[in-house]
Amino acid sequence: MDRKSVKVVVAGGFGTGKTTLVGSVSEIPPLTTEEVLTQASVGVDDTTGVEGKTSTTVALDFGRITITSDVVLYLFGTPGQDRFWFIWDELAQGAVGAIVLVDTRRLGTSFPAIDYFERRGIPFVAAVNRFFGECLYSEEEIRTALKLDPNVPLLWCDARDRSSSKKALIELVRHAMARLPVST
Amino acid sequence: MTYDIWDGDDDGEAGRLVPLYILVNGRTTPRNTNLDLATQVIALPADTSRLEQEYREIMNRCSGWISIAEIGAYLHRPLTITKVMVDVLLEQGFLGIGAPAQRKIADRRLLETVLAGLERL
Ligand SMILES: Nc1nc2c(ncn2[C@@H]2O[C@H](COP(=O)(O)OP(=O)(O)OP(=O)(O)O)[C@@H](O)[C@H]2O)c(=O)[nH]1
Ligand SMILES: [Mg+2]
Repeated sequence: MDRKSVKVVVAGGFGTGKTTLVGSVSEIPPLTTEEVLTQASVGVDDTTGVEGKTSTTVALDFGRITITSDVVLYLFGTPGQDRFWFIWDELAQGAVGAIVLVDTRRLGTSFPAIDYFERRGIPFVAAVNRFFGECLYSEEEIRTALKLDPNVPLLWCDARDRSSSKKALIELVRHAMARLPVST
Repeated sequence: MTYDIWDGDDDGEAGRLVPLYILVNGRTTPRNTNLDLATQVIALPADTSRLEQEYREIMNRCSGWISIAEIGAYLHRPLTITKVMVDVLLEQGFLGIGAPAQRKIADRRLLETVLAGLERL
């Protein structure tokens, strides 16, 4: 059977617009699914406040785009909390790459995501989500602040806008293709 | 990926997990490690009348190709459980499986198809 799934991860810090981006390009309203975690899978130093709570539910938003009659692209938003790393592993498994959303008012919240994909050699693009249309920094300033590798594409987007989100996806797929080993 | 999904004494969501957990015979990870959330499955012609209700609900969702993540979302079942149950149905020949999302085998042609598809949107 030749039904193919292509996966893209939409990551970034808390409240950077991940769910909004998934929703703006998905052909279905974003769906939410849950994963149940026990304490063992939650970062040890992050259990403060959940003492006595032995399991936690983490919600994942995702959407889909039918590409052809046998190829479907799935977009998965990472959970807002960085500590659920094992979910990230699950989402990143086999993914073409990631769009890391960045909010210039809180650049730091996207560091863990950038670091995650960089370390694993997973292609990603950084997309600055222009909340309220403001643009406080130049591309150079943002690159420097995020310590972005020069060949990681940096783009501006409005996660609410379908064509803007679509452009970010296209940029990611191009970037992922450019990194494929040359083959026949 | 080995972790316990059920710890027995939480309320709410986890409480609802108990019967599902028993349904999968305590299995917490799928045998087929290639199964990922985006993997799509489809119902094969088979007699599902002897399947347990929870499995039949999955089969009913699979009359067309559908991903494991979608099944979990529509049936409000945690992903790990959904994955294991889908795996059981695959093993028993009730479901057919598509190619999993795999970066390593993702050939240039597939990405070209995706790119063309996105540009048409
Ligand atoms: N002005 C503006 N608001 C936006 C934009 N993108 C998202 N928002 C708003 O910002 C808020 C957070 O967006 P979400 O898409 O929920 O962010 P998220 O990254 O999924 O958040 P978490 O899952 O909680 O981490 C929402 O109220 C959105 O409506 C944007 O491009 N411009
Ligand atoms: Mg969200």
